[in-house]
Amino acid sequence: MTFKSALDIDCGIRYMYDTLCIMSPCGRKMLLESKMMTTKDDIDNYYGRLRDVYDKDCSKIANKLMCIKDIHNTLCRLSDAIVLDDIELYEVKYLAIITSEVDVLLQQLQLTAIELPSLQAVVDILDPDHTHIPSFYIYDSYSPQLQEVRKQLRAIQIEGKDLSDEMRQEVAQLMQRNADLELQIRERLTLQLQPYASKLQQALDNLSLLDILIAKATQMHELQLTFPHITQDNYTLYNNMFNPAVKAHLAHQGRDFMPVSIGIEQEPVTIIGANMGGKSVVIKSLALNQLLAQYGFGVAADSCHINPVEEVALCIGDEQSITKGVSSFAGEIMAIDAVLSKVRSGKKILALIDEPARTTNPIEGTALVEGLLSVIEEVKGRWILTTHYNIKNDNVKRYKVKGLHDGIMDYTLVPTHSGDVPHEAIAIAENLGIDTQWIEYTKSKLNN
Amino acid sequence: MPFINEILKYDSLSIVGLEKNVGKTECLNYILNRLPLQHIKVAVTSIGIDGENKDQVTATKKPEIYLRQGIYFSTAESHYRERRLISELIEITNERSSLGRIVTAQVAIGGKAIISGPSSGLSLRRWVAGIKKMGIDLTIIDGAISRLSSASPAISKAMILSTGAALSSNIATLVQKTKFVAEMIALPRLDDASRDTLCDIESGVWGVDTEGNIVDFKITSALAINSVKSDITQGMKIIYTVGALTDRLLNIVADSKRIKEITLVVKDFTKIFVSETAYRIFCSRGGKIEVLQKSKLIAVCVNPTAPNGYVLDSDTLCRKLREAIKLPVYDIVKNNYDI
Repeated sequence: MTFKSALDIDCGIRYMYDTLCIMSPCGRKMLLESKMMTTKDDIDNYYGRLRDVYDKDCSKIANKLMCIKDIHNTLCRLSDAIVLDDIELYEVKYLAIITSEVDVLLQQLQLTAIELPSLQAVVDILDPDHTHIPSFYIYDSYSPQLQEVRKQLRAIQIEGKDLSDEMRQEVAQLMQRNADLELQIRERLTLQLQPYASKLQQALDNLSLLDILIAKATQMHELQLTFPHITQDNYTLYNNMFNPAVKAHLAHQGRDFMPVSIGIEQEPVTIIGANMGGKSVVIKSLALNQLLAQYGFGVAADSCHINPVEEVALCIGDEQSITKGVSSFAGEIMAIDAVLSKVRSGKKILALIDEPARTTNPIEGTALVEGLLSVIEEVKGRWILTTHYNIKNDNVKRYKVKGLHDGIMDYTLVPTHSGDVPHEAIAIAENLGIDTQWIEYTKSKLNN
Repeated sequence: MPFINEILKYDSLSIVGLEKNVGKTECLNYILNRLPLQHIKVAVTSIGIDGENKDQVTATKKPEIYLRQGIYFSTAESHYRERRLISELIEITNERSSLGRIVTAQVAIGGKAIISGPSSGLSLRRWVAGIKKMGIDLTIIDGAISRLSSASPAISKAMILSTGAALSSNIATLVQKTKFVAEMIALPRLDDASRDTLCDIESGVWGVDTEGNIVDFKITSALAINSVKSDITQGMKIIYTVGALTDRLLNIVADSKRIKEITLVVKDFTKIFVSETAYRIFCSRGGKIEVLQKSKLIAVCVNPTAPNGYVLDSDTLCRKLREAIKLPVYDIVKNNYDI
């Protein structure tokens, strides 16, 4: 799965992308096209590079990276030896100069996360006057003939603006000669540069990667993210996990996000708890952090152990589609079914299901969830569910949101053995200040 | 010609033609040929032309501009490739037009090129900001009346108006139309304690009451003025519209009994979209319009020849215009200021 498609998962990952300050268009493109890493080695290797960048002040490099243009097409033309025009030669020269400037900064910082190829030869070809500035044209010094033609052109121009017809013709001829000579030189330059095409591409790719790494490291400092510990066993642990998107939203309202800790030794897991107890946020944060770790971002927790999977499936019950003629119940059940068949085919999936079968009657709903948990026992896989139903299965590890205490919600997750769900809906409704008569009638119904 | 010296007092200039074929390019060429490039760095661009090399209306070729050695210019990359001069490419900007990215270059050996720069006011403003960093002393924008935003004082402080027989072949009408535009450009700058606050407002129609309090009429723009039921002029000394000033808003103020106590304020003259008739009625009743930012109109250039071959008398035209707008008026072609 590419990062671009992961952005559609509604868990707060888009917020992470939006707050990521990537400087160059090619860095952004590279990130969006990047594939999710699925092995411990790949992820560890990536975090090794990120850690190198994380410890250093890379602001000078970031400023340089802001100027990088995506010249992939130009480099393809160069490797095919298609004669480059002035603008393309400028692009190549510019990339070569930026690469060597960034390389100097990398050495100053002793930053080894990225290695840049030496492009001094390219700079030498395109900067015959050794001006060390990234502008470009076919310089006079490329050929004595060109020098001569331009000398004549300059002489005529200096003589004045009132040119006779003969002079005008001469200027036209000289301009034509100039254009012919320039073309010859561009052909020569293209051939000289062609052997460096792959090095230039490598430089562009590595600069893009460096851009991404610096952006991620900056984001880690800004949002107080950490490096995850990648495990190979099935043990997942989050110490004070949070969701940056939700946290920012709450901060905007002047409220604090209460981090949640959870340790999962075995799946499946069910999370029960009162309404507004943050169960959905836990499910979304688990999805978010798994994705963050596998796309090489800092993770939103004080510390964590994460076991990589091949796919993160988040079902939050919004699969309803009027246009497809599917009810919310059907949409949800079909989405869970799709995950189930992938797990059956042996794919390693982290399945996070928020209140399955919530939109149907509680009797069949409970049975459907219990049935699902029984299937999971056979097909295995990593499943985490939230529910309001009293589930009797005994193959399940259960967590419970602590819930209301003196009218204040405690979002802490505590292990529990009982499947009994808390009866706090009315207390919460009262807290929200809804119609008192409604509450009274509801209470009297319950007491009967 | 005196107006070159006048131009040098400013760091940004736009040249706006009131109609096609009024000699705007001649005017631009004239200026570019006379600027003392040995003393100042000049950059030129135009508010983008729309993709075709030929003028679709009159089938004449889009004019090329003669650029002297040392001038900086920004144009779309496809026009850069077609240039007939020798230049050093300085930068590929992040601005785009329908003809590709906008590139900036400095002329090494003079010649002709088609200039087609950023196509919106906002990107033009970014261009000005970007090019200033290269140490440019004077930016010149080849503008268009259909995109008057290029002449907004937010982009260029001084301007030259180009008018001619193509606008009208009747001298009286031509003078009247040109005078109206010149009058709008010459509107006085608001002198009131509320000016700074008004400058920071980003949208809507606002008022300042007689005690100096700022009042939001909760109207998104002057175009939505019909949705207001109450009399917005009540108790106000200033009515300010951030966006376009339309006939409708002008008439509301014109019909008010308090018209003489109210100043109608706009951001700058490019936001005024009122008909001359409505404006004259407004003024005759004692109404006045002021601007937050004022442009400086340096001169008016005329082309007495219309594309259909009709030629007005240059001297009469210049004299009448000069009398009407009280500014220098020049016929550059007739006086054979060689171009």
